[in-house]
Amino acid sequence: MIDKDKYLKDMWNKAENLLGSSEYESSTIESFISKRSNSTAERIRKMIYVDIFMKSVFLLVLIIDIFLYLGTINVIAVCITSILLLISLILFEFKMLNRFSEIVDYGKSTKEKLAAMLTYLRSDFFSTLIAISIGYPFMFIGGTLIYFYSTYGYVRPLDGQDIIVFSLFIIAGLVFNFYMNRKQVDYQIKHLETCLSDLNDSSLQMVSDNLDRQRKQDMTNKVLLFMVLIFGFVLLLVVFKNIGFLVH
Amino acid sequence: MTTKPNKKAFSELIEQHQAIIHKVTMVYANGRADREDLFQEICLQLWKSYPNFREEAQFSTWMFRVAINTAISNIRKEKRMLPFEPLRDTDRIPEDGMEDKEKVKLLYRSIAKLNRIDKAIILLWLEEKNYKEIASIMGTSEKNVSVKLVRIKRKLEELVMETVSEEL
Repeated sequence: MIDKDKYLKDMWNKAENLLGSSEYESSTIESFISKRSNSTAERIRKMIYVDIFMKSVFLLVLIIDIFLYLGTINVIAVCITSILLLISLILFEFKMLNRFSEIVDYGKSTKEKLAAMLTYLRSDFFSTLIAISIGYPFMFIGGTLIYFYSTYGYVRPLDGQDIIVFSLFIIAGLVFNFYMNRKQVDYQIKHLETCLSDLNDSSLQMVSDNLDRQRKQDMTNKVLLFMVLIFGFVLLLVVFKNIGFLVH
Repeated sequence: MTTKPNKKAFSELIEQHQAIIHKVTMVYANGRADREDLFQEICLQLWKSYPNFREEAQFSTWMFRVAINTAISNIRKEKRMLPFEPLRDTDRIPEDGMEDKEKVKLLYRSIAKLNRIDKAIILLWLEEKNYKEIASIMGTSEKNVSVKLVRIKRKLEELVMETVSEEL
């Protein structure tokens, strides 16, 4: 009678002997640890950093607008409000970056690691995506004001058709950006759910409990972000429609 | 909590224990290029996670934990996965071990057909980790490990037979 466990382990140990153990020199390993990671967490972190940089550029453009339209109270009011909203979005994104400490630690148990990643992707990441997507109206506000100043020297009023075209363009960009990023993580969410389900140890329940705990905070985040989005659009319309502040 | 060593000292430490990473990459990646990519990613995650390594755990157990978590999470290339071809790089295997080589190939091909969680559990078991250690690494109960191992070994046996019949 063959001892199957022993047979399997013997084969495994033979593999070790056949393959040898030393492959990479320490200098090669040192070069490996100096490279950039390709993990999902790192890609999300990079995406947030890039967006924070972009929002900082929008901020700079709005500050330039304030100087360009100095003495025009209404334009300055729109710029300052946009700057405050952008700063709140940047702070929110930094807060989301801090949550990464939970998912980047690979030294946790497999269940904890996968559950933390899945919880993040199903809650905080959604809010982060909204925060990233709603930067577009502010880019348009800052950019349009600079364009108007350099072309006309004042805020040119747009007609209804222009407003519709611009608004549709912004909404399409916003939705496309959100959808593409969301689609990228959908596959990862499915993979993580499958792995946790394969662990077969109430792992998915752990994620549900985490999500339940975070639900109230998530809802507050989403409501605040949608308010910023709506406020951004209102400001955009104010600039486009040029309500009451033609600047010659 | 451990203070972060310099990169050179850490690389030397990994060099000594690199067999662990090789075993994980052999089970989770296909072909030499994917194995190298995964090896690099595991080294990077070990370096990043090292400040959180607690001395009370064995270094090799911690390495297994990080390596397995990295391999399980590493799904970016799965969409273009080719049929599993382990040990293709025959230059690493001496000719006088051909019979053993076939057995090893068979074992790896069979393990490759398991899901990612089962691969981790069987790998740890083959590495002589006890139920308590496997449970700690996977974050599950010893009972669950025991139940799963019985099922995985049965499945592996079937897969070995299936792989043999496929190749005949």
